[in-house]
Amino acid sequence: MVVCNLNCPSCPFAYICIPMIVGAFIALKRYNGRLQKRRIVSQLSFLFITNTAFVFGSTGLIYTYFYCWESPFALMACPIGVLEHAFADRTWYILIYLVGAIGFASVIFGRAACGWACPIGFLQDLTKGRKIKRETDKKMRYLKYAILALIPPACYITERLAYTEICPIGGLTATIPHLIINPYGYTFTKFFLPKMIITAGFFVLIFLMTRGWCRHLCPVGAMMAPFNKISFLQLNYYEEKCIKCFKCAKICPMQIEMPYKNKSTECIRCGKCVDTCPTDALDINFKWQ
Amino acid sequence: MKKITFLIVALIILSAGIYFGYEKVKALNIARCLGCIAMEPKAEKFKNFWVEYPSSYEMNGIPPHPSWLVNESREKVVMLFFWGPACHPCELQWNAMKNAGIVKGSEENGSFTENFSYAKLFSINQPYDEKGNIITLYTSDRSTGTPTTVILFEKNGTVYWYAFSGEANGKGGRPDINELINILEKAKEEKYGGVQP
Repeated sequence: MVVCNLNCPSCPFAYICIPMIVGAFIALKRYNGRLQKRRIVSQLSFLFITNTAFVFGSTGLIYTYFYCWESPFALMACPIGVLEHAFADRTWYILIYLVGAIGFASVIFGRAACGWACPIGFLQDLTKGRKIKRETDKKMRYLKYAILALIPPACYITERLAYTEICPIGGLTATIPHLIINPYGYTFTKFFLPKMIITAGFFVLIFLMTRGWCRHLCPVGAMMAPFNKISFLQLNYYEEKCIKCFKCAKICPMQIEMPYKNKSTECIRCGKCVDTCPTDALDINFKWQ
Repeated sequence: MKKITFLIVALIILSAGIYFGYEKVKALNIARCLGCIAMEPKAEKFKNFWVEYPSSYEMNGIPPHPSWLVNESREKVVMLFFWGPACHPCELQWNAMKNAGIVKGSEENGSFTENFSYAKLFSINQPYDEKGNIITLYTSDRSTGTPTTVILFEKNGTVYWYAFSGEANGKGGRPDINELINILEKAKEEKYGGVQP
C-alpha cells in the first residue's frame, strides 16, 4: 500500500500532514524540557486524531477544544457549534451533552486540553508572540467570557449560527482546507470576506501576543477555565523549595503571576514553568483531595 | 471528597447527555453546512435530465433511488429540497421559491402551490430526518451539503433526475428561480407530454 506518493497538490490529506511535519520540525527545536517533549507528542497526536473522519467517519463525540466540525475530516463536534445549534434550533437537550462532556473532561484535566490537545493552541505555541502589559492582559481576559455569554442570545434571536459565520477558527480549519482540496468547486456567501478578514486578524493576534487567542478570545477556553480551581490535575507550588527567581513568571505563555497564582483559571497546564524551575518547586500531577 | 462529588455529577450529566443527545450531535456532525463557513458548492448547468450519474460525479451508473421515491415519482414529478437547521442559504432559497409562488408554508411544513399541482415536494430537514440520509446519492462528491435540490420523475420504468447541489447561475448554492421553474415545467412536459394531469 502506498501511504504517500509525494503528490501533495492532488492529495486531500496534504492539508493535515504538511502542518504536522512543519509543526513537528519547528517544535522539536523549540520544545525543551521533559514535559515539553511529551507535549509535542500529545499535540501532534491530537492534531491527527482530530482529523480522522476518513477512518472512523463523523462521530457524535464532542471536542473539548476548539476545532471546526465542518472541517473536511473532522471526527467530532465543535463545542461552540453544539451550543449554537441548541439555541438556534431550540434543541435544548443537546446542551446536557455539551455540559457533561466539557464538565467531565475539565473536572479531571482542568484547562489542560488547551495546552496538550488543542490544534489552535499548538499553532500558537509555534508562532511565539510577545507579552503585553499585565494590567491590559488582566482586563482583556474577561473578553472571552463576554463572547461566550453573547453566543446563546445571538443564536436564539437570529435563529442562525451567529458565531460560526464569523469564526476565525472555522475560517482556518474548514473554509481554507475546503478551498485547498477543491479550489474551483465553491462560490462564496457574503460572510466569506468578513470571515477571512477575521481569520487574518487571528494570525496577526497570535504573532503579536503569546497565546493571544486562548487568553482573550477563545470561548471554549472560557467554558473550561472555572474548572481549573477544582480539577484533579493541578499545578502545585512548594514554597519551601522556591528561591524566588521568577523564571516561571517569565516563561509562562499565559502571563500568569507565577508562582503565587498557580491555581489561576488561565493556567493551561503546559508545564513550561515546571521544566524551567531550577529547584523543582513546581510540579503537575493529579490530586485526589 | 468534593472533587469526587464533582466528578460523579459530571459523569451523570455526561451519561444523560450521551443518552439524549449523541445521535443528534452525530447527525449534525455528518451534515456538512458549507453555508455556515461562508461557502456554497458549484453545480452543473441544466441541459437535460439525467438517467445515470453525469461525468462530473464521483459515482457511476444509475443511482440506487430508494423505492419510496420511485413510487412517488410514478405518480407525480418529485422535488426533494434538503435543508438544514440554521442554514442561511437554505432559508434564502426557500424564501425565493416562496416569493416566486412555487411553494407555500415553511421549510418544515411546505408544499407546492396550486400552480405546480403536478409536482410533489419533500422538504427534508437533512440532519434530523431519516429521509435525509439519501442526500449523498444526489451530490457530486457524496457530500451532505445543504441546500441540495433534486427533481425526479419516472417515465416508462426509467427515473429521470437532475440535482442542484450548488450554484447554477453565479448566485451560489441555490438554483436560479426562473431556471427552477423551467426545469419543473420541462419535467411536466416530458412526463405528461405537456398536458396537466
